[in-house]
Amino acid sequence: MTDRLAGLAFVLLATGYVWLSAGYTAGFGDPLGPAIFPRVVGIPAIILGLSLAIWPRHTAIWAGPAGLARQAAAVALLIFYALMLEPLGFVATSFVSILGLGLLMGATALAGVVTAGLAAPGLYLLFDRLMGLPLPLVGTWFG
Amino acid sequence: MEILSSLWSGFAVAALPINLALIFGGCFAGTLIGALPGLGPVNGVAILIPLTFAFGLDATSSMILLSAVYYGCMYGGRISAILLNIPGDEPAIMTTLDGYPMAKKGQAADALAISGVASFIGATLATIGLTLFAPMLAKAAIHFGPSDYFALYVMAFATIGGITGTDPRKTLLAAMLGLMLGTVGLDPSTGVARYTFGSFNLYDGFDPIVALVGLFALSEILFFLEERAHGGGLVPPGRVFPRFSRVREGLGASLRGSLIGFVAGILPGAGASLGAVMSYSFEKRISDKGTFGQGDPRGVAAPEAGNNAASGGALIPMLTLGVPGSGTTAVMLAMLISLNIQPGPLLFQRSPDLVWGLVAALYLANLVLLILNLPLIGMFTRVLGLPAWGLMPLVVAISYLGVYAITHAAFDLMVMVGFGILGFVLRKLEFSLVPVVLGLLLGMDMENNLRRALSISGGDFTILVESPIAVTIYALTIAFLALSLWLSRRSIVPTPS
Repeated sequence: MTDRLAGLAFVLLATGYVWLSAGYTAGFGDPLGPAIFPRVVGIPAIILGLSLAIWPRHTAIWAGPAGLARQAAAVALLIFYALMLEPLGFVATSFVSILGLGLLMGATALAGVVTAGLAAPGLYLLFDRLMGLPLPLVGTWFG
Repeated sequence: MEILSSLWSGFAVAALPINLALIFGGCFAGTLIGALPGLGPVNGVAILIPLTFAFGLDATSSMILLSAVYYGCMYGGRISAILLNIPGDEPAIMTTLDGYPMAKKGQAADALAISGVASFIGATLATIGLTLFAPMLAKAAIHFGPSDYFALYVMAFATIGGITGTDPRKTLLAAMLGLMLGTVGLDPSTGVARYTFGSFNLYDGFDPIVALVGLFALSEILFFLEERAHGGGLVPPGRVFPRFSRVREGLGASLRGSLIGFVAGILPGAGASLGAVMSYSFEKRISDKGTFGQGDPRGVAAPEAGNNAASGGALIPMLTLGVPGSGTTAVMLAMLISLNIQPGPLLFQRSPDLVWGLVAALYLANLVLLILNLPLIGMFTRVLGLPAWGLMPLVVAISYLGVYAITHAAFDLMVMVGFGILGFVLRKLEFSLVPVVLGLLLGMDMENNLRRALSISGGDFTILVESPIAVTIYALTIAFLALSLWLSRRSIVPTPS
């Protein structure tokens, strides 16, 4: 069943991709221009996507509710880490993310806090101070 | 003799203090990454690439570091396969079959020594093969024209999924997805902005490095959260010192396994896992007397020699044609391209220091790994007790700081997370990730070769099939696809992640 959905997703994506390529017009000296390659790739992708939607072979088995909840929480943490790294600084965001992911993976509260408490400043010292990669210690929100 | 003098100057490059330090560090880190279940060579190399950029290592030193890690992972994967019955990385799956039974019989030290020596034999023979055959292939490839290169890329995409039993339609779709993602940004020859939807952040396109850290490292985290898998407990090592009589039993199997693995490694899309599978099956066919699967030393030696030899073999098409033979070499190719070094036949003429320095470094790395993996093996077995909750979050933090250090943009961190989710969904749907990376990476060059060929012919597509080289490559591609379609219906080979 998931194969049918994946096939349909590819058909939609590739159709949009080929359709948009019509807007990319050729300059002179380049007979086919920037639109040709998207068509060479996109049209076979539409055909393969259709074939997958019509003749599916595989159905993915997703995690149970608990697993899906853990994964959603992890994605939220990853987005938080990406968006807040500059505003809050490396050490604070790393602490939260390492602690959160550790707890999701089954760490006890104490073990998680100790790991994150050692790792977040430790990574900063190792990579920024010792090896010279510039990382923001405190974020833009704190000046 | 030309090769010997080139190799000699390569050793001069590899023996520079910085490179020696990288060989040691890379071998150590690689064995560690390989030994830890869940992290394999692709993840290890993907996480390290942003760091090599951030530290400003030159191309030669970066390649030496990554190759040392790559070889190290192949040695390390066997440790948890033997002691825990969990392969440390995918190519080590076959090693569990006889390695774990040996460990349960109290022969863990023997099994580790046999597989360590087998790894050394496989990797060293493959490095010798690389030294001999790579320059020959590079010389032949100089005659390739634009349409031949286009054909070669088509073959690389069609075959990278390998004879793995996955649906070949999905391999092709994954490659096309990568090619589509690769066209995002300014078209280099006309300056037209394609698929940027007005976002200036997308004008440079997706950075392959950012994409592959997301695809491989972050998707692994999401996979890990799916289930908390547990294998058998850690087997006590039993006797401390291995017996050399047992090691000798594995020598013949090691030699045969090396040869098979090396050939499997050179084939596009086959890689180390297939090398291990083929070596084990062959050894079982010729010498099994009912002892295989019960802890036969030859069943440990053959797949380990096979996967190590395959990893050396896989470097050959990557360096000489710019077409990687495995996932990890695809990732290494990403790094070379990002450093503005185009692998391919001209690499041997333009950057002999890089090629021969790398080859020499591989010989040295093998020696280092033999020492790390025989007398110092106890160090790594202790690491296996580390819990995943302490380790996986650190992988995330290192991915973030590595990517941030090279891009300094929160936007790229979001792109990385996006690719992480994409990678997870694709893997759940049984799409292989390597073709995506390859498409993203080689798309621009493939497009240039297509447009160059078409502008020579004035827009006539028949130029693509006029050269005999191109026709041969297309014929091989079709044969390969037919074979993998047939195999995927029978589904006899274990599916890789």
